[in-house]
Amino acid sequence: MLALQLFINGLVTGSALGIVAISFSLVFSTAKIFHVAHAGVYTMAGYLAWSLVRYGVPSPLTLVIVVVLCAGAGALIEWQLYDRLKQRRATDLVILIASIGLLAVMQNSISAIYTPNILQFPLPWASQVVAFGGIRLSWAEILTVAFSLSAYATTMWFANHTNLGKRIRAVASNPFLAEITRLEPRSVYVYVIAIASALVALPGVMVPLDFGLQPYGGLTPLLTATIAMIAGGVGSLHGAYVVAVAIAVMQNLCLLFIPGEWSVGITFFIFVFFMLFRPTGLFSTAR
Amino acid sequence: MDFYFSYIVLAEIYVLLGLSTNLLVGIIGIFSVSQAAVFGVGAYIVAAFLMSGTLGFIPAMIVAFICCVILNILLALPSLRVSGDYFVVTSFGIQLLATAVFINWTAGTGGANGLPGIPPPEILGHTVGEAWEFLVLVTVATGLGCLAFGLILRAPFGRLLKAIREDELAVAAAGKNVLRAKVSAAALAGGFAGSAGGLYATFMSFIDPVSFDLDASILLLTMVVVGGARTLAGSIVGPFVLLALPHVLMLIDIPTTIAASMRQLIYGLLLIAFMLFRPQGLVGEKL
Repeated sequence: MLALQLFINGLVTGSALGIVAISFSLVFSTAKIFHVAHAGVYTMAGYLAWSLVRYGVPSPLTLVIVVVLCAGAGALIEWQLYDRLKQRRATDLVILIASIGLLAVMQNSISAIYTPNILQFPLPWASQVVAFGGIRLSWAEILTVAFSLSAYATTMWFANHTNLGKRIRAVASNPFLAEITRLEPRSVYVYVIAIASALVALPGVMVPLDFGLQPYGGLTPLLTATIAMIAGGVGSLHGAYVVAVAIAVMQNLCLLFIPGEWSVGITFFIFVFFMLFRPTGLFSTAR
Repeated sequence: MDFYFSYIVLAEIYVLLGLSTNLLVGIIGIFSVSQAAVFGVGAYIVAAFLMSGTLGFIPAMIVAFICCVILNILLALPSLRVSGDYFVVTSFGIQLLATAVFINWTAGTGGANGLPGIPPPEILGHTVGEAWEFLVLVTVATGLGCLAFGLILRAPFGRLLKAIREDELAVAAAGKNVLRAKVSAAALAGGFAGSAGGLYATFMSFIDPVSFDLDASILLLTMVVVGGARTLAGSIVGPFVLLALPHVLMLIDIPTTIAASMRQLIYGLLLIAFMLFRPQGLVGEKL
């Protein structure tokens, strides 16, 4: 029974982690930026939501406002930081260091404003538990799964069936050709990071409903999501999502044998395993 | 007076550590945010030997040096197989994993409480207890490190390392052994970090996981970036400037609860600002 409960918990965490993974994957495969500051946007979303809820904004409206604000923050990061660096022909290393700097700025501003302690959402309904034949789920967890799956489906539809989605995929597959056919990669990058930041705001708000907020809590999910992206095959959104769910389930099932504080080790072990035996990932297309 | 001594001693220890990061990130181009982990391993090894009394200071330092050389080679090995961005994940993962070990392996590291009461070093029967004696010891050690670093930069081996950063394929095509060069550089960087760790443990007489976490690695990266990558002068200037920063901050009236966050916030801002406006740092070469 415990195993089943842990399995379900893994699916819940995994569905949220999958959104982090596909949003990171969107940025990484399109703009070719290792966007570490994405973890900062993730954390920021939770704290923004907490503040809005504290000031009595109704919950659904809060979610909409946070998603819009995060999209704006993402666009600002690309426009004011990454794009400027790229215009100066900065190397990948320089962009990465700037991104790490931005993450440090975001996390520590949050920590200075809200204190480094764990904050809980003042929403009693979120932690109310529903039991289905022995499996206990909180409303927060049910909503997490619902929002994550719909965000996943929307992203896939968007990437395949809209003009902007096709433009993004074109830029991702060949930026040079996209440039000469006037698809304007530079503005596509701004859209991509805005969309990715809006997406990551969903798990950023939903996960802390259950676990509480911590200013430095963003990096571990981001790292796990990155590992899922690589193990799933860079460029494959399906791969990233599926592997993220698989990793989360595995982490939860490992709790049966290993104490929770070592779960970083398990994730990392999976990564090393993939690096050694299948460095291109599970679902990668030939390149 | 002791206050200035301890500032200089700490700065010199970080110079030694900065040489390690500079060698990896700046010169050979292996991105690393895990040097603080190696630093920590060196510190814990020396602390463990001195506290149990099984080895004297110099043999303990030699053991720490060798262990960190081996450890850093192992950590850098993935970079030989996976390129660029993938290694970023590896590096973050190693750092998070090391922090998890430092915090959770209570028997060996004292857990989050750290190890207090590390005895001062004893050299040839003389106990190095006074601050100025320590200054001499650390100056000698760091001087040796700087000498080695400076000589390598001038030697054909240093040019080989720089060439690998510029174009690995061309170097391999010219018949040079890229693998051996990378492994040697990683070994040397590990040795620097390990010795710095040993000196740090004995000087502070107390170590805890906070000194060796991701923030410490980012501080180290900031030191190298602010001082200037790829030059000896840069590695020396960076730590002295950045370690003076907390003292400058004390002059401004900041509540102690947010002082640590403010410090990290400023490091982040410095990283972004230097990447945007002065990628070569104060006295370095362009990244």
